[in-house]
Amino acid sequence: MSAAIHNHGSSLKPAYPRAIVLSLASDFGCQLQLSNIADLLDVLGTIKLEYWQLMSSAVLPADYDIAIIEGAVTTQDHIELLQQVRTVAQTIIAIGSCAITGGVPALAAQDLGKHVQAVYSDDADRVAAGRVRPAPISNYVAVDYLVAGCPIDPREFVTVLQGALLGVRQRQQREPLCAQCKTMEAPCFYSIRAAQDIADGMATPQALCLGLVTRTGCGALCITRGRPCTGCRGIAADANLSSARTFIANEGLDVDDFDDALRIYSSHALDDGGEEQ
Amino acid sequence: MTASKTTSLDIQHIARIEGHGNVEIKLDGSRIEHIELKTVEPARFFESIVGGRHFNDLALIVSRICGICSPNHTITGLMAVEDALGLEITQRTRLLRELLVYGSFIQNHATHLYVFAAPDYTNTVPSAKSNIASDTLPSVLSLAAGQKRDRELLRRALELKKLGNDLCAAIGGRPVHPVNAIVGGFTDQPDQMTLQVLAARLRAALTGALLTVELFAGVDFPNFQPDREKLALRDKSGGYAILPRGAQTTVSAHKSVWSQPVASYHDFISEHANPQNGNAKFSFLESNQGEQIPFMVGALARLSISGDALMPEAAVARSKLSNFSNPYLNNLCQAIELVDALERCAALCDRLAEDYEKSDKQIAPPQAIEVQAGVGYAASEAPRGTLYYSIGLDARGYVTSGDVITPTAQNLACIEADLRDLAPLLEGLPQDQLILRIEQLIRAYDPCLSCAVH
Repeated sequence: MSAAIHNHGSSLKPAYPRAIVLSLASDFGCQLQLSNIADLLDVLGTIKLEYWQLMSSAVLPADYDIAIIEGAVTTQDHIELLQQVRTVAQTIIAIGSCAITGGVPALAAQDLGKHVQAVYSDDADRVAAGRVRPAPISNYVAVDYLVAGCPIDPREFVTVLQGALLGVRQRQQREPLCAQCKTMEAPCFYSIRAAQDIADGMATPQALCLGLVTRTGCGALCITRGRPCTGCRGIAADANLSSARTFIANEGLDVDDFDDALRIYSSHALDDGGEEQ
Repeated sequence: MTASKTTSLDIQHIARIEGHGNVEIKLDGSRIEHIELKTVEPARFFESIVGGRHFNDLALIVSRICGICSPNHTITGLMAVEDALGLEITQRTRLLRELLVYGSFIQNHATHLYVFAAPDYTNTVPSAKSNIASDTLPSVLSLAAGQKRDRELLRRALELKKLGNDLCAAIGGRPVHPVNAIVGGFTDQPDQMTLQVLAARLRAALTGALLTVELFAGVDFPNFQPDREKLALRDKSGGYAILPRGAQTTVSAHKSVWSQPVASYHDFISEHANPQNGNAKFSFLESNQGEQIPFMVGALARLSISGDALMPEAAVARSKLSNFSNPYLNNLCQAIELVDALERCAALCDRLAEDYEKSDKQIAPPQAIEVQAGVGYAASEAPRGTLYYSIGLDARGYVTSGDVITPTAQNLACIEADLRDLAPLLEGLPQDQLILRIEQLIRAYDPCLSCAVH
């Protein structure tokens, strides 16, 4: 077994770095997006894929260079697996909201016991055994590269993988989506809302666009299709949450609704003291 | 070694299925004494975490139950909310939703047949024997290094998958987790040209789908016929039921020949926690004597119930199906459905393109939705079988209760019953063959354990 090397600077040694794909608590959507890479076979020409439970019967090897990990940490087994992976893999690439922010699974973090009880009643004690509060993988191990989104965009993954293969430190996109949206001259839901007389009872959550604070990089995919940003890429490093809340209040919208909407993908950051990368 | 002849044989993290599951086997010599399917997929408590969320967020959250069938979770979640609110949708919205769900059928069936199942059967891979030492392939991706015929098969698989993805992306905004579909309608729709191009591509892909039927019709599946009960949606007006059309659509049983309204699904399906089987609950029908009856859902069940409603090419392909009793044939049924989906979607795209001029307002949700307390029920056919939702809303439109029964949650009891029936037939097989036969059967159901546990 190789020693732990967490260096961002040097390129990976073998001509064909050996990669594995792992999943923790997730819906396998990001793995599905990996299988949807248009040039999948070309990508596979640059790495040696040694383990991917979804796509192959090959067994998990003892040694590898890159671990691509999807899903949130929800069990003690996940923590042990991650720690083991960290001692072997030179590079860890976290893919998708679950892995990066805790994502939707982290909605169960507050009152975990209540959720276990609600779904499993008599069987709750068994299910609760070995569970931990859902969290992003960076809570437990250092992550070298990340691909945001729910699900990830396969093209973005390929770009990040290329960086990892070259040993280039990932440049984080720090600004919120709002900035990109403005340069794209996409329509703004807050301006539209101001111009419309929207009926009560309809206005609240649907009118909230989370692009104000959400990590950019999606090309305003939802907004350009007529739907406000739902925050699936997590909170941007340079997001100004308190200023966003002030803006929401000035718009006559409910700040609690804004926070609740953010929680769908970022409850760990808001409620569990999680730090965004 | 006289103390005990019993040995354990476990399959950890069954490969080439969605989600994490193990099989625990106890062998007495070469005889299987005990076999159990265990879902180790961690629960994410979806039915509980949707509590207190606004109805507009419901579909967005439940979509994350499953990547592959996210269009189904999205649409079925929306339908349950609309049922609770008493909200009608337009015909165009319904047709777009149907296209979106069919996009996931094409993507799912192509992935399951070629990526998950095909490596189990060497005769689906013409020249594999000359290339690969073992009887089976670890992954269809290994075909990239194979001979020309192998590479063509892999290319066909990836092309069909891509077509399904492109269809989902055209309607829903992206291949996984659609963004356009909202309560009451769509925020956006494909333009006329996109629909016309899609129709042409769908028709062009028919050749590949028909080759897929031929491929799986040629597989020498084990002759194993447990002949379980099968359930699927049925359209009384004669359609191939995928999304319900109001009261015309019921849930039907193939063997005991009954039909029930979707909203009464709690009356005929009972869900039980099965601690020894891990985190997924098992679903059963209950007989008059109170006996728990496992049942099957998915392509085989749909063909057994709506097989007379297939599109022309698929109807011809259906003649390759010899019976409805053998679960391994679910593979062939998916191939037939792939043909049906391509023909149907091409026709749907034509229709939506023709009506395009006057369609601008036809997808917009109502300006204001009147909120009322109530419980909404919905079901749809997902690629792997019937998906049920019931969602309770309070007078302010916030979720008070959620119930989701996924296709695989229904199939698990059936898979386990099949494994127990299969076990005696496997006696004496070498261990690798025994594992292969067990995995082939499990994969034939195309299980999704992320869905099953949720």
